[in-house]
Amino acid sequence: MRVINAIKKTCGFLIISFFSFTATSQSLSVGLIDYPPHINFDEDISKSPLYQYINKMLSAQGFAVTFIKLPRKRASVELLKGRIDILMPLPLNDESIKTLTYPIFHSVPGLCFKKQNFIPILSATHRLNTLTIGVPDNLSLVPALTDSTASLVYLKGENATSRGMEMTQRGRFDAFYHPSPVTVYHRKNPLYKELACSYFHGYSTPIYIAVAPTLPSDVFALINSAYQKTLKAQSYEYYFANRE
Amino acid sequence: MSNQSKLFVLITAYLFMSFQVSADNTKMKGVINDITKIYMSSMTYIFANQPLINQKDVDKSELFGDKFLENVKQTYRAKYSEAFPKEDHFAKKILLQTMVEVMDDNKELLYDNDIGFKGVIPATYAFQISAKLATKGIGLNFKFTRTNSNIRNKLNRPDAWETSVMKKIIATPKIFYDENALLNGKPAIRQFTPLPMSPFCLACHGTPADNPLNANKERSQWTDIDISGFKMENWTVDDFGGGVSISIEKSFLESH
Repeated sequence: MRVINAIKKTCGFLIISFFSFTATSQSLSVGLIDYPPHINFDEDISKSPLYQYINKMLSAQGFAVTFIKLPRKRASVELLKGRIDILMPLPLNDESIKTLTYPIFHSVPGLCFKKQNFIPILSATHRLNTLTIGVPDNLSLVPALTDSTASLVYLKGENATSRGMEMTQRGRFDAFYHPSPVTVYHRKNPLYKELACSYFHGYSTPIYIAVAPTLPSDVFALINSAYQKTLKAQSYEYYFANRE
Repeated sequence: MSNQSKLFVLITAYLFMSFQVSADNTKMKGVINDITKIYMSSMTYIFANQPLINQKDVDKSELFGDKFLENVKQTYRAKYSEAFPKEDHFAKKILLQTMVEVMDDNKELLYDNDIGFKGVIPATYAFQISAKLATKGIGLNFKFTRTNSNIRNKLNRPDAWETSVMKKIIATPKIFYDENALLNGKPAIRQFTPLPMSPFCLACHGTPADNPLNANKERSQWTDIDISGFKMENWTVDDFGGGVSISIEKSFLESH
């Protein structure tokens, strides 16, 4: 009788384990947007710190994760149509997009200069007054810039940022307003040789991990809970700062 | 139960609760004191290491990660002649992590050999700490501030509480602790720790004679614009140096 009971208990345990495993080993597709140095399409994606941080968290929950590189414009469409489950990293321009509870990091806007014209401290706003500064026309600017008497030249179009950086490089602007200079001012970017950027600290934009509207609520709850625990144990920004 | 017994129970409960509240306040005061001193030690380290920060083609690993924290701890021990506080509260842990994050945010600039003066000075570093902590949404607020009329970075302007505290202590600067303050409309404990004006402040805020840019130059060639691009204020060591204002929402302290 004892042997039969033991066999029953073992079978029960195996059945429960099997269903628990299948419940959490579901596949998950994660869309990635190029956002160096957090997600860098120019190198092996598995080396990108944000990929590593999130992959570790999702894998620990038993998800089979597939990562898909997506162009910025198409990425949100894919998410809203439910063709991907998660998209990152994403500044929240569209309020209807659902996200995990807390931002993964914050981006700080700034100005990029030719190195010989570099202004390191942008709270010295009087130094901006005589400059000609290019700005993408679809961005809201920080008060430090709009309150200055700098001559602002608005650039239209989707590639306004890349054109603005190029025009700064060629000396057409004294500086260019960039929504997230960290994406361009890093040693892996050839522009680093000629341009340097400084930041409007105190004016930041939260960057999120977005989720598809079609993601089942129980899966969302599981991911969101794991995400919060991971952040509490070690924030992504601290993880990033301690990377090799 | 007799009336006497009831009275005894009530008095005992009251004394126990008073003791508990007093113990909590002491603990909170201890935490806020520790983080103020850690914050100030890191600013001292940043000031002392301006040559390393602005130097070209050198190893700057001392400014990042665990090495940076160890240097801040060493500075703390030297500055206050006491052991570095135990990391026994979430607020201290968060502050130390934020320091590492801020230094990492400056990494590309610090390693840019084409830029001489990097602009990573105690005031900008302290402001970056404040700005980053604010993004964490945890009810922990740091500010390196001064009286409203003399503030360089508008985002460091004092709020009503800080203004009233500075009015009270400006003549005889001393630490002001308030366990019944508000922050963002929520109950908070707040502390303002005045900073004495020191030679390192005067390099930017003093007279042209204090300006390192004027060193070894004829007086006629002196500038009253400091290295960060601001006009110097002509302050002396006897002027009020502003202070560090730290606020912690009580709900944050209690939940950690």
